[in-house]
Amino acid sequence: MKRLFLFLFFLNIVLAANAQKYMTKNGYIGFYSHTPMEDIKGDNNQVVGALDISTGEMVFQALIKSFHFDRALMEEHFNENYMESDKFPKSVFKGKISNLKDVDFSKNGIYNVTVEGDLTIHDVTNKISAQGTIEVVSGGINANSKFKVVPEDYKINIPGVVKDKFDKNLEVTVAMKYTPIANK
Amino acid sequence: MKLWVKIALFAVLIIVITAIWIGLHMFNLKHTDTAKAKPDFVITATVLQKEFEDNEGTASSKYINKIIEVNGTIASVTPADSTHLNIALKTRSDMSTVICTFQNITDPSKYKSGEEITLRGECSGFLMDVLLKNCAIVVKRK
Repeated sequence: MKRLFLFLFFLNIVLAANAQKYMTKNGYIGFYSHTPMEDIKGDNNQVVGALDISTGEMVFQALIKSFHFDRALMEEHFNENYMESDKFPKSVFKGKISNLKDVDFSKNGIYNVTVEGDLTIHDVTNKISAQGTIEVVSGGINANSKFKVVPEDYKINIPGVVKDKFDKNLEVTVAMKYTPIANK
Repeated sequence: MKLWVKIALFAVLIIVITAIWIGLHMFNLKHTDTAKAKPDFVITATVLQKEFEDNEGTASSKYINKIIEVNGTIASVTPADSTHLNIALKTRSDMSTVICTFQNITDPSKYKSGEEITLRGECSGFLMDVLLKNCAIVVKRK
Protein backbone atom coordinates (compact mmCIF):
# COMPACT_ATOMS: atom_id res chain seq x y z
CA MET A 1 0.00 0.00 0.00
CA LYS A 2 2.83 2.36 0.96
CA ARG A 3 4.45 1.55 -2.34
CA LEU A 4 1.26 2.44 -4.19
CA PHE A 5 1.27 5.85 -2.50
CA LEU A 6 4.89 6.30 -3.44
CA PHE A 7 4.10 5.42 -7.02
CA LEU A 8 1.13 7.78 -7.09
CA PHE A 9 3.27 10.49 -5.56
CA PHE A 10 5.89 10.19 -8.27
CA LEU A 11 3.29 9.64 -10.98
CA ASN A 12 1.75 12.90 -9.81
CA ILE A 13 5.13 14.55 -10.20
CA VAL A 14 5.53 13.15 -13.70
CA LEU A 15 2.07 14.18 -14.84
CA ALA A 16 1.97 17.62 -13.24
CA ALA A 17 1.60 20.42 -15.78
CA ASN A 18 4.64 22.65 -16.32
CA ALA A 19 6.64 20.11 -14.42
CA GLN A 20 9.47 21.71 -12.58
CA LYS A 21 10.37 18.56 -10.84
CA TYR A 22 13.77 17.02 -10.52
CA MET A 23 14.65 13.55 -9.41
CA THR A 24 17.41 11.02 -8.83
CA LYS A 25 17.47 7.36 -7.92
CA ASN A 26 21.24 7.32 -7.43
CA GLY A 27 21.53 9.83 -4.60
CA TYR A 28 24.08 9.54 -1.84
CA ILE A 29 23.55 9.61 1.92
CA GLY A 30 26.39 8.67 4.22
CA PHE A 31 27.16 9.01 7.89
CA TYR A 32 30.35 9.19 9.82
CA SER A 33 31.40 9.00 13.41
CA HIS A 34 34.84 9.00 14.91
CA THR A 35 35.67 6.69 17.82
CA PRO A 36 39.11 6.16 19.35
CA MET A 37 39.09 2.58 18.12
CA GLU A 38 37.98 3.14 14.57
CA ASP A 39 35.90 5.33 12.32
CA ILE A 40 32.36 4.30 11.63
CA LYS A 41 31.29 5.05 8.09
CA GLY A 42 28.24 3.92 6.17
CA ASP A 43 27.47 4.78 2.55
CA ASN A 44 24.26 4.51 0.58
CA ASN A 45 24.28 5.26 -3.15
CA GLN A 46 20.71 4.15 -3.82
CA VAL A 47 18.78 7.06 -2.36
CA VAL A 48 15.66 8.25 -4.18
CA GLY A 49 15.36 12.02 -4.06
CA ALA A 50 12.84 14.42 -5.56
CA LEU A 51 12.87 18.21 -5.69
CA ASP A 52 10.12 20.57 -6.80
CA ILE A 53 11.69 23.89 -7.69
CA SER A 54 8.37 25.75 -7.81
CA THR A 55 7.55 25.00 -4.16
CA GLY A 56 10.96 24.01 -2.77
CA GLU A 57 9.64 20.68 -1.57
CA MET A 58 12.19 17.92 -1.10
CA VAL A 59 11.69 14.21 -0.47
CA PHE A 60 14.31 11.56 0.23
CA GLN A 61 13.80 7.85 0.66
CA ALA A 62 16.44 5.27 1.49
CA LEU A 63 16.54 1.62 2.39
CA ILE A 64 18.49 0.98 5.59
CA LYS A 65 19.86 -2.24 4.15
CA SER A 66 21.41 -0.31 1.27
CA PHE A 67 24.00 1.22 3.61
CA HIS A 68 27.41 -0.28 2.99
CA PHE A 69 30.18 -0.62 5.54
CA ASP A 70 33.72 -1.79 4.93
CA ARG A 71 33.41 -4.33 7.73
CA ALA A 72 30.74 -6.98 7.22
CA LEU A 73 30.24 -7.34 10.99
CA MET A 74 29.60 -3.62 11.38
CA GLU A 75 26.99 -3.76 8.63
CA GLU A 76 25.31 -6.69 10.37
CA HIS A 77 25.27 -4.92 13.76
CA PHE A 78 23.98 -1.74 12.15
CA ASN A 79 21.06 -3.61 10.60
CA GLU A 80 20.23 -6.05 13.37
CA ASN A 81 21.11 -4.32 16.64
CA TYR A 82 20.75 -0.61 15.96
CA MET A 83 18.40 0.09 13.07
CA GLU A 84 16.34 -3.15 13.22
CA SER A 85 16.04 -2.92 9.46
CA ASP A 86 13.79 -5.97 9.14
CA LYS A 87 11.14 -4.13 11.18
CA PHE A 88 11.90 -0.61 9.90
CA PRO A 89 13.31 -1.01 6.38
CA LYS A 90 13.03 2.61 5.22
CA SER A 91 14.15 6.04 6.23
CA VAL A 92 12.31 9.07 4.86
CA PHE A 93 12.75 12.83 4.85
CA LYS A 94 10.03 15.21 3.73
CA GLY A 95 10.72 18.91 3.85
CA LYS A 96 11.04 22.26 2.19
CA ILE A 97 13.66 24.81 1.29
CA SER A 98 12.74 27.68 3.62
CA ASN A 99 14.58 30.42 1.69
CA LEU A 100 13.50 29.43 -1.81
CA LYS A 101 13.48 33.06 -3.01
CA ASP A 102 17.29 33.18 -2.58
CA VAL A 103 17.75 30.55 -5.28
CA ASP A 104 17.67 31.53 -8.95
CA PHE A 105 17.04 28.27 -10.76
CA SER A 106 17.47 29.97 -14.13
CA LYS A 107 21.07 30.94 -13.41
CA ASN A 108 23.95 28.52 -12.90
CA GLY A 109 25.61 28.92 -9.53
CA ILE A 110 25.79 27.77 -5.93
CA TYR A 111 23.16 28.99 -3.51
CA ASN A 112 23.04 28.52 0.26
CA VAL A 113 19.78 27.09 1.52
CA THR A 114 18.13 26.00 4.74
CA VAL A 115 15.95 22.93 4.56
CA GLU A 116 13.37 22.16 7.24
CA GLY A 117 11.24 19.08 7.54
CA ASP A 118 10.48 15.72 9.11
CA LEU A 119 13.11 13.02 9.26
CA THR A 120 11.96 9.48 10.00
CA ILE A 121 14.54 6.95 11.10
CA HIS A 122 13.85 3.74 13.03
CA ASP A 123 10.11 4.61 12.94
CA VAL A 124 10.69 7.82 14.95
CA THR A 125 9.96 11.17 13.30
CA ASN A 126 11.70 14.39 14.33
CA LYS A 127 11.66 17.91 12.96
CA ILE A 128 15.07 18.87 11.66
CA SER A 129 16.68 21.85 10.02
CA ALA A 130 19.84 21.63 7.94
CA GLN A 131 22.11 24.01 6.06
CA GLY A 132 23.10 23.05 2.57
CA THR A 133 23.70 24.21 -0.96
CA ILE A 134 21.77 24.04 -4.19
CA GLU A 135 23.98 24.11 -7.24
CA VAL A 136 22.28 24.93 -10.51
CA VAL A 137 24.24 23.35 -13.37
CA SER A 138 23.48 22.85 -17.04
CA GLY A 139 21.01 20.00 -17.33
CA GLY A 140 20.45 19.46 -13.64
CA ILE A 141 20.59 20.51 -10.03
CA ASN A 142 22.98 19.31 -7.35
CA ALA A 143 22.05 19.41 -3.69
CA ASN A 144 24.55 18.98 -0.88
CA SER A 145 24.24 19.10 2.88
CA LYS A 146 26.00 18.06 6.05
CA PHE A 147 24.20 17.94 9.36
CA LYS A 148 24.28 16.17 12.72
CA VAL A 149 21.95 13.43 13.89
CA VAL A 150 21.80 12.13 17.45
CA PRO A 151 20.92 8.40 17.44
CA GLU A 152 19.19 8.71 20.85
CA ASP A 153 16.62 11.06 19.32
CA TYR A 154 15.49 8.17 17.14
CA LYS A 155 15.38 5.60 19.96
CA ILE A 156 18.44 3.85 18.59
CA ASN A 157 20.01 2.14 21.56
CA ILE A 158 23.74 2.03 21.65
CA PRO A 159 25.00 -0.40 24.30
CA GLY A 160 26.99 0.97 27.26
CA VAL A 161 30.31 -0.51 26.23
CA VAL A 162 30.24 1.22 22.88
CA LYS A 163 28.38 4.32 24.05
CA ASP A 164 31.26 5.99 25.89
CA LYS A 165 33.55 5.69 22.90
CA PHE A 166 30.92 6.96 20.56
CA ASP A 167 30.55 10.52 19.43
CA LYS A 168 26.89 11.26 20.23
CA ASN A 169 26.54 13.21 17.01
CA LEU A 170 26.68 11.36 13.74
CA GLU A 171 27.65 13.48 10.80
CA VAL A 172 25.27 12.89 7.91
CA THR A 173 26.25 13.83 4.36
CA VAL A 174 23.68 14.20 1.60
CA ALA A 175 24.71 14.53 -2.05
CA MET A 176 22.14 14.51 -4.85
CA LYS A 177 22.54 14.98 -8.56
CA TYR A 178 19.05 15.64 -9.82
CA THR A 179 17.95 15.54 -13.43
CA PRO A 180 14.68 17.00 -14.69
CA ILE A 181 11.73 14.67 -15.07
CA ALA A 182 10.64 14.66 -18.70
CA ASN A 183 7.23 16.18 -19.25
CA LYS A 184 5.24 13.34 -20.75
CA MET B 1 54.58 -25.32 40.46
CA LYS B 2 52.50 -28.45 40.37
CA LEU B 3 51.98 -30.13 37.02
CA TRP B 4 48.16 -29.72 37.04
CA VAL B 5 48.52 -25.99 37.62
CA LYS B 6 50.80 -25.75 34.61
CA ILE B 7 48.34 -27.70 32.48
CA ALA B 8 45.43 -25.54 33.69
CA LEU B 9 47.34 -22.30 32.94
CA PHE B 10 48.31 -23.60 29.53
CA ALA B 11 44.68 -24.51 28.78
CA VAL B 12 43.52 -21.03 29.83
CA LEU B 13 46.19 -19.48 27.61
CA ILE B 14 45.05 -21.54 24.62
CA ILE B 15 41.42 -20.52 25.22
CA VAL B 16 42.32 -16.82 25.50
CA ILE B 17 44.42 -16.92 22.31
CA THR B 18 41.64 -18.72 20.43
CA ALA B 19 39.06 -16.21 21.68
CA ILE B 20 41.21 -13.25 20.56
CA TRP B 21 41.85 -14.90 17.21
CA ILE B 22 38.11 -15.55 16.62
CA GLY B 23 37.31 -12.03 17.79
CA LEU B 24 39.79 -10.44 15.40
CA HIS B 25 38.62 -12.67 12.60
CA MET B 26 34.97 -11.63 13.15
CA PHE B 27 35.97 -7.97 13.47
CA ASN B 28 37.88 -8.00 10.19
CA LEU B 29 35.44 -10.20 8.33
CA LYS B 30 34.97 -9.00 4.76
CA HIS B 31 31.75 -9.03 2.81
CA THR B 32 30.83 -12.10 0.83
CA ASP B 33 32.70 -11.97 -2.46
CA THR B 34 29.73 -12.01 -4.79
CA ALA B 35 32.01 -12.68 -7.76
CA LYS B 36 32.74 -16.13 -6.33
CA ALA B 37 29.72 -16.84 -4.12
CA LYS B 38 27.14 -19.39 -5.17
CA PRO B 39 23.91 -17.52 -5.90
CA ASP B 40 20.74 -18.36 -3.95
CA PHE B 41 18.65 -17.38 -6.97
CA VAL B 42 19.31 -17.06 -10.70
CA ILE B 43 16.70 -14.83 -12.32
CA THR B 44 16.11 -12.16 -14.99
CA ALA B 45 15.72 -8.48 -14.04
CA THR B 46 12.19 -8.43 -15.47
CA VAL B 47 10.98 -11.36 -13.38
CA LEU B 48 12.69 -10.09 -10.22
CA GLN B 49 11.14 -6.62 -10.52
CA LYS B 50 7.71 -8.10 -11.30
CA GLU B 51 7.78 -10.28 -8.19
CA PHE B 52 8.46 -7.21 -6.03
CA GLU B 53 5.81 -5.17 -7.82
CA ASP B 54 3.17 -7.90 -7.53
CA ASN B 55 3.79 -8.69 -3.88
CA GLU B 56 6.47 -6.78 -2.04
CA GLY B 57 6.02 -8.69 1.21
CA THR B 58 6.46 -12.14 -0.29
CA ALA B 59 9.34 -11.04 -2.52
CA SER B 60 11.04 -9.28 0.41
CA SER B 61 11.10 -12.35 2.62
CA LYS B 62 12.20 -14.46 -0.35
CA TYR B 63 15.04 -12.28 -1.66
CA ILE B 64 16.29 -9.81 0.96
CA ASN B 65 19.84 -10.58 2.18
CA LYS B 66 20.13 -13.33 -0.44
CA ILE B 67 22.70 -13.44 -3.22
CA ILE B 68 20.94 -13.08 -6.55
CA GLU B 69 22.36 -13.60 -10.01
CA VAL B 70 20.49 -11.29 -12.38
CA ASN B 71 20.49 -11.22 -16.15
CA GLY B 72 19.26 -8.16 -18.00
CA THR B 73 19.84 -5.25 -20.35
CA ILE B 74 21.57 -2.12 -19.07
CA ALA B 75 19.15 0.82 -18.83
CA SER B 76 21.62 3.33 -17.42
CA VAL B 77 25.08 3.62 -15.93
CA THR B 78 25.55 6.24 -13.20
CA PRO B 79 28.84 6.88 -11.43
CA ALA B 80 27.69 7.48 -7.86
CA ASP B 81 31.07 8.81 -6.74
CA SER B 82 34.74 8.07 -7.45
CA THR B 83 34.57 4.46 -6.24
CA HIS B 84 30.93 3.48 -6.66
CA LEU B 85 28.99 2.73 -9.80
CA ASN B 86 25.27 2.13 -10.18
CA ILE B 87 24.03 0.06 -13.09
CA ALA B 88 20.28 -0.05 -13.68
CA LEU B 89 18.76 -3.01 -15.53
CA LYS B 90 15.66 -2.69 -17.70
CA THR B 91 12.43 -4.32 -16.70
CA ARG B 92 8.95 -4.42 -18.19
CA SER B 93 8.13 -1.20 -16.37
CA ASP B 94 9.28 2.27 -17.50
CA MET B 95 9.26 3.56 -13.94
CA SER B 96 11.11 0.78 -12.19
CA THR B 97 14.42 -0.99 -12.76
CA VAL B 98 16.85 -3.18 -10.87
CA ILE B 99 19.58 -0.85 -9.51
CA CYS B 100 22.89 -2.55 -8.74
CA THR B 101 25.64 -0.81 -6.78
CA PHE B 102 29.27 -1.83 -7.34
CA GLN B 103 31.81 -0.92 -4.68
CA ASN B 104 34.98 -1.16 -6.72
CA ILE B 105 34.28 -0.31 -10.33
CA THR B 106 35.67 3.10 -11.18
CA ASP B 107 35.48 3.08 -14.96
CA PRO B 108 31.88 3.62 -16.08
CA SER B 109 32.86 3.82 -19.76
CA LYS B 110 33.19 0.03 -19.92
CA TYR B 111 29.44 -0.40 -19.58
CA LYS B 112 26.87 0.97 -21.99
CA SER B 113 23.10 1.18 -22.15
CA GLY B 114 21.58 -1.58 -24.23
CA GLU B 115 24.25 -4.16 -23.45
CA GLU B 116 23.23 -7.44 -21.95
CA ILE B 117 24.86 -8.25 -18.66
CA THR B 118 24.81 -10.83 -15.89
CA LEU B 119 25.73 -9.76 -12.39
CA ARG B 120 25.51 -10.96 -8.82
CA GLY B 121 24.60 -8.95 -5.75
CA GLU B 122 22.92 -8.94 -2.35
CA CYS B 123 19.31 -7.83 -2.36
CA SER B 124 18.48 -5.03 0.09
CA GLY B 125 14.85 -4.60 -0.91
CA PHE B 126 12.51 -2.43 -2.96
CA LEU B 127 12.05 1.32 -3.04
CA MET B 128 10.89 2.35 -6.50
CA ASP B 129 13.33 -0.16 -7.93
CA VAL B 130 14.73 -3.46 -6.75
CA LEU B 131 18.04 -2.62 -5.04
CA LEU B 132 21.13 -4.82 -5.06
CA LYS B 133 24.38 -3.96 -3.30
CA ASN B 134 27.90 -5.37 -3.20
CA CYS B 135 27.59 -6.35 -6.85
CA ALA B 136 30.04 -8.13 -9.17
CA ILE B 137 29.93 -8.71 -12.92
CA VAL B 138 29.52 -12.34 -13.92
CA VAL B 139 29.46 -12.23 -17.71
CA LYS B 140 29.58 -9.29 -20.06
CA ARG B 141 28.25 -9.91 -23.54
CA LYS B 142 27.96 -7.73 -26.58
